Parts: sequence; structure tokens; C-alpha cells
Amino acid sequence: MSEKAMLEIRNYSKSYGGEKKAADNVSLQVMSGDIYGFIGHNGAGKSTTIRAVVGVLDFTEGEIYIDGHSVKNEPMECKKVTAYIPDNPDLYENLTGIQYLNFVADVFDIGAAEREERIRRYADAFEITAALGDLISSYSHGMKQKVALISALIHEPKLLVLDEPFVGLDPKATFKLKEIMHEMCEKGAAVFFSTHVLDVAEKLCNKVAIIRQGKIIDSGTMEEMTEGHSLEEVFLEVEQDEQ
Amino acid sequence: MNNDLILLLRTLLKSTSLINIRRYTHDQKKKRKVILSYVGLGCLYAMLIGYSLALCIGYGAMGIIDSVPVFCAITVSTLAFFFTFLKTNGYLFNFREYDMLMSLPFESKTVAAAKFLYMYCKSLPWYLSISVAMMVGYGIYAKPSVPVYPVWIVLTLILPVIPMLAAAFLGFLIARFSAGFKKTNLVQTILTIIFVLFCFSLRFIIEDLFREDKMEQTLNQISDATKQAGGIYLPAGWFDDVIVKGSVSSALLLAGVSLILFAAVFAIVGRSYRNINSALKSHAAAGHYKMTVQKKRSVCMAIAHKEFKRLTGSTAYMVNGAMGEILALILGLLTLVVGLDTIIEKVTEGAPIDAAMLQPAIPFIIYFCIGMVATTACSPSLEGKNYWIVQSLPISKRTLYQGKMLFNMLLSVPFMSFGILCMCISAKVPALNTLLYLIQGVTLCAFSTAWGCVCGIKHMRLDWENEIEVIKQSAAVAIYMLPNMFVTMGLVVLVVFLGTKLDHVVLVLIFTLVYGALAVLSYLRVMALAREN
Repeated sequence: MSEKAMLEIRNYSKSYGGEKKAADNVSLQVMSGDIYGFIGHNGAGKSTTIRAVVGVLDFTEGEIYIDGHSVKNEPMECKKVTAYIPDNPDLYENLTGIQYLNFVADVFDIGAAEREERIRRYADAFEITAALGDLISSYSHGMKQKVALISALIHEPKLLVLDEPFVGLDPKATFKLKEIMHEMCEKGAAVFFSTHVLDVAEKLCNKVAIIRQGKIIDSGTMEEMTEGHSLEEVFLEVEQDEQ
Repeated sequence: MNNDLILLLRTLLKSTSLINIRRYTHDQKKKRKVILSYVGLGCLYAMLIGYSLALCIGYGAMGIIDSVPVFCAITVSTLAFFFTFLKTNGYLFNFREYDMLMSLPFESKTVAAAKFLYMYCKSLPWYLSISVAMMVGYGIYAKPSVPVYPVWIVLTLILPVIPMLAAAFLGFLIARFSAGFKKTNLVQTILTIIFVLFCFSLRFIIEDLFREDKMEQTLNQISDATKQAGGIYLPAGWFDDVIVKGSVSSALLLAGVSLILFAAVFAIVGRSYRNINSALKSHAAAGHYKMTVQKKRSVCMAIAHKEFKRLTGSTAYMVNGAMGEILALILGLLTLVVGLDTIIEKVTEGAPIDAAMLQPAIPFIIYFCIGMVATTACSPSLEGKNYWIVQSLPISKRTLYQGKMLFNMLLSVPFMSFGILCMCISAKVPALNTLLYLIQGVTLCAFSTAWGCVCGIKHMRLDWENEIEVIKQSAAVAIYMLPNMFVTMGLVVLVVFLGTKLDHVVLVLIFTLVYGALAVLSYLRVMALAREN
């Protein structure tokens, strides 16, 4: 399988109201087959970068490409191959789980048989099938997270972008999600996610970038970054060096 | 309409549909609430239909039934404009599920257009009920041919589109302008309030224009004024042409212009949509706070302070929740600067009423502004998903609602007192009467606060998608506001009338006692509801 850049961020910067930059000259590349971890303190600029990648946040400085398409100039092409789950997904609370999944399936124009098979597969994997007929407002945080995950996987995206995906998930669902991430990457897709759980990032990711005050302060393959140390040690050391 | 637009609109409607909630919820209490909401809505529709029909019958009795089509078009258009303008921020921009929607493969203009059409679909039943009631009244007196009825109904579906587009576009311009500022929300709030106040004063400007035409103060003047309004606001004139003259070209013009404007507005809005929402929804932490001396507050005061921050933190809440206070402030200042007599003359258009006659109604006049909205009617529901915060804290419901009521009192009493004082000074009210009016004003605020809280708790709804649903469209606000508004209007007339028969001091004491008793009863009800919930 040939490697292809699924996500390329070039010199992306974002500031709010002309003050300090929330993202400052960020550049990174996520290749197909990569599980790319994006780590940093709270307020370091992870979500600002992720929201620009998925076309939610407007930006003027820099370029972002998804599967070769510019987020700025071809947003629809980018969105068609991307799936995004925010850290606290706001779903339509007064729809049932299945109604919401059908809505997303309709958006991506997925046929009836395909959607049924995929919803069944992922809902069974996340053990939420029985609750799909209930209103989302009656779900726990973890259940909402599971529905959001299924909605992200339903169109088999080439790039999966997740903001703190493991928060609220039970251990079994966490395990299942990691398994799905690996399966996707084996098929040539890529995963880009932010996390604070460094143990998970270390075991799951093949590449990682550390962001601090909007700037990428270190990035590379997991082996290059850790060199026999734990990711937690590396992260704390890099952070201390920057202070 | 493209498929994406239809799909998104259908989902938006379904996601806020009470039928969907009732069908899929297992919570019996929620099911009952849905039914009660329908009953409440039914009553409000009945009131609106009755009021519109009565107006038409009045027009018919006065022999000016021909003015009804233009009057209907103007009424529907004005309501559509205002309600859309006040809802633009919250529905069109700065809505909660923005991230989720914009990450899906929808074009920006599709999302914006779907949000607009959602507003249209949600408010259409109100406009239809007004229009159909007027159509019935018109039918009784004018006896038009049968095809007029279906044409009237079809055109009512089109009528709100142009004013709604105008309001949405104006909201867009304000949002676009505000997006360039650091304090985006603040600028947006100020601009919105300024525009609403401008619209309130527009009525007098237009009337002055008419007066320069030396129109006679007769019944026919209403008819002329309505026709003239139809000449100024062309869509109303087109509607009139279709109904009265059967003009097909006017019908096509109305439909065509609505369609073209719709396409044009959303082509423009779509271009800046992401940019505006990015500015409205994304805030960077300034990160330069330095720890200083912190204040300790009582629990009630802490809740009241939280309520203050909630009010000032949202343009939609501020514009709707504090509009009464701003109007009272302006009214007070106007009476001081222009004089009460001049204002009475302007408003009553030369009716035989003077400042002395109006004196006992001063607290009710200011209360008409202040009592329009009580923050307590929406603040229980506004907790929304954050309800867990107050639930998990060691605060009793009783204290929670006391804090909410305290905030409304702290907000309303100073403005109420200022308005009353200004009017009393302008009307040269004796000191004792002024003091009594001030006491009555505080009593009215207490009633408004407690009654609002009763409505807010009884019709509390935490699972809203958009705060506008709570601030503008909730059963709690409607049940608080409409009866309160109509009763206050009636009381102004009654008090002026009684003031000619009874001593003003006696009158103010009676009403202070009545409203004081109502305030106490409402407060006790709040405490009882706090125990039940």
C-alpha cells in the first residue's frame, strides 16, 4: 500500500481578535495508515487546530489539505472524506439514536442496505443497539459518545479526526475503538486525535506531535520521540525545556 | 430546494418536535408536559385568533373592511420582521450544534438557509392563525368570491418571507460588523438594542410624516393610513391587489421577489457564514489574569450574580430579558426632557387626557415596560444541561429560586424606581404620592418576579437545543407575559378612570395591597414548587 498524505497542515496560524496566537505556524503531515496523536496542555491549541482541519473554524494564515484537497477552497470535498467527533459532541437531543444515525447516513448518501449493516456492526460492537430507539436526551455521556462514534464511522471516512475520544467511554468501548482505528488504518485511512491520556497515545499511535502555546514543539514517530523513555517523561521534559 | 436543504430542515424540525419527544420518551412526566404544552399553545392560538377576528369585526362595523387585506399583510410582516430579528442570533448564528453541522458535508449557505427556513416553519402557524382569522372577518363583511380564500391562505405562506429575510440580513450585518471587534457579543447586543429602539420610535416618525399630509382625524384616516402603509411597504400592497382586484401579476411579483431575495440573501450570507460563526463561537483565553482580593457573597447573592453573568453573556437573553428595563429608562428620561404632557399628546393623538389624569397610572405605565419579561420565567429552564451544577451543590431549591428572584428584583427595582421618579417629577406629583407610587412599583416588581418564577418552574424545560426556545418561545414565558401584558393594559385604563372618581392615595393603597397579596401568594407557590421538585 503506497503512503499518501491524508492530512497536511502547512504554516497554519490562528489568532482571536488580534491577540496572542492560539495556533502559531503549525505544520504537520498525517499519512495514510497513521494513527497520529496530538498532545498538549489544556488551551495549548489542539482544538483550535482540529476545528480548522474539519472546516468548522475559519482561518486565513496557512493551508490545510485533506486527501489533496484544500480545506479553504474545496471544503465539501474535504468533508466528504472526513469524520469528526468533538470532545463534547452536541447531538440532536430530541432525536432517537437511530434517527440521528439515519440523518448522518442520509447526508453521506449511504444506501439502505449498507447503512443497516454498518449501524448494526458498530452498534453491536459498542453494545448500544438496544438503546437506539430511545431519545438521545435520555443517554449518558458515554452513550452519546458511542452514537457520535458510529455516526463518524458510518461513511467509512479516509480521515478520522477526534478530540479527546476516550473521555466517557467504558473500557470495552475504548478497546473496541482502538481496534477500529487499527482496522481503518490497515485499509489506508488515517486517524488524527488529541488526547491527554499519554499511556493510550504511546501504545496506540505511530506518530505524535506536542503543541504548546500554539506552536508545535516536537513531533515525529513514536520511536524517534521516546527513544526508550515513556511518552509521559518525554512530554514533561519537552514542556520543561520550553518554559 | 436541494436535497441537503430538505434533509437538514426536516431533521431540525424533527429534533425540536414535541411529537417526536412524546412518541419516543419513556418518561411519563415528560409525556404529560408535552400534552400540557399543546394545551397551553392551543389557548394562546385561541387568544390570537379571537383578537384578530375581533379586530376585523371592528373594521367591518366601522365600514372600513376594505383595509383588512393591507392591515393583515402589515401585521404579519411586522411580526415576522421583529420575531426573526430577535431570534437571528441564536438560530442563524451562534447556535449550539454548529460544530457538528459544519463538519458534515453541507455548504455554508445550505446550513444558513436551513436555519432560516426552520425559523419560518416554526413561526408560520402564528402568522397563519392571524391571517386566517382576518380572512374569516373579511369574508363575513366583504363577501369576496370563493377563490379569494385559497389565494389568501397561499399568499400568507409567502408574506412573511420578505420581512424575515430583511430581518435575517440585518442580523447578519450586525453579526458581521460585530465579528470584527474583540468584544463581539457586547457590540452585537448594543447594536441590536439600538436597532430595536429605533424600530419602536419608527411608529411616531411615520405618523409625523402622515400628519404633514394633513390627514383628517376621522375613522377614514385609519383606512387611508393602512392604504398608505400598503403603498410604502410594497408586498402589502401586492397582497391587497391580489385579494381585492384579483391581480395575478401582483401574486407573481410577491412570489418572485420572495424567491429571488431568498436566493440572493443566502448567497451573500453563505460567503461569510463560517467567518462570523468562528468569531462568535471561538474565544481565546486572554491568559493575563492576576489573582487579586476575592469577594465573599451570600449563597443567594452568588446565585443572583451568576444570573447577572448569564444575562449579560448572551445577546439573545440580554436583548429579550432586559428590553423592558431599557424601555423604562428611556421613557423616564424622555418624560424628564420632553415632558409628560408632550408624550401623552403624541401617544394618545390628542385624546382628552392630561398628566394629572394619568398620575395614578404611573406605576402601571412603567410596569408595562418592566413587567414585559421577568428573568425568573426563563432562568430555571436556562440552566439546561448545566442544571447538574446547581443540583450537585449543597443548595436547596428554595435558595436557588430565591437567588433567581433576588436577581430579577435587583434588575427591575432600580429601573422601575427611576422611571416612576422621572414621571412623577415631570407630572409634578406631590412627595407623599411619589413615595406611594415607588412602593407600588416595588410591589409590582415583586409580583412580576414571583409570578414569573412560578411560570418558570411549572413549565421548566431543560432539554432545549437553542436558548431562544426558552427565551422567546417557551410556554413559561408566554404564560407569564401575555396575561400580564393584557391585564396591565386594562389596569392603566381602569386606574385612569377610577382616578377621576377616587382619591389617588386611596387608589394606590388598594392596588399596592392587591399586588402585594398576589406577590406573597406567588412567592409561597414558588416555595411549594421548590419543595415538590
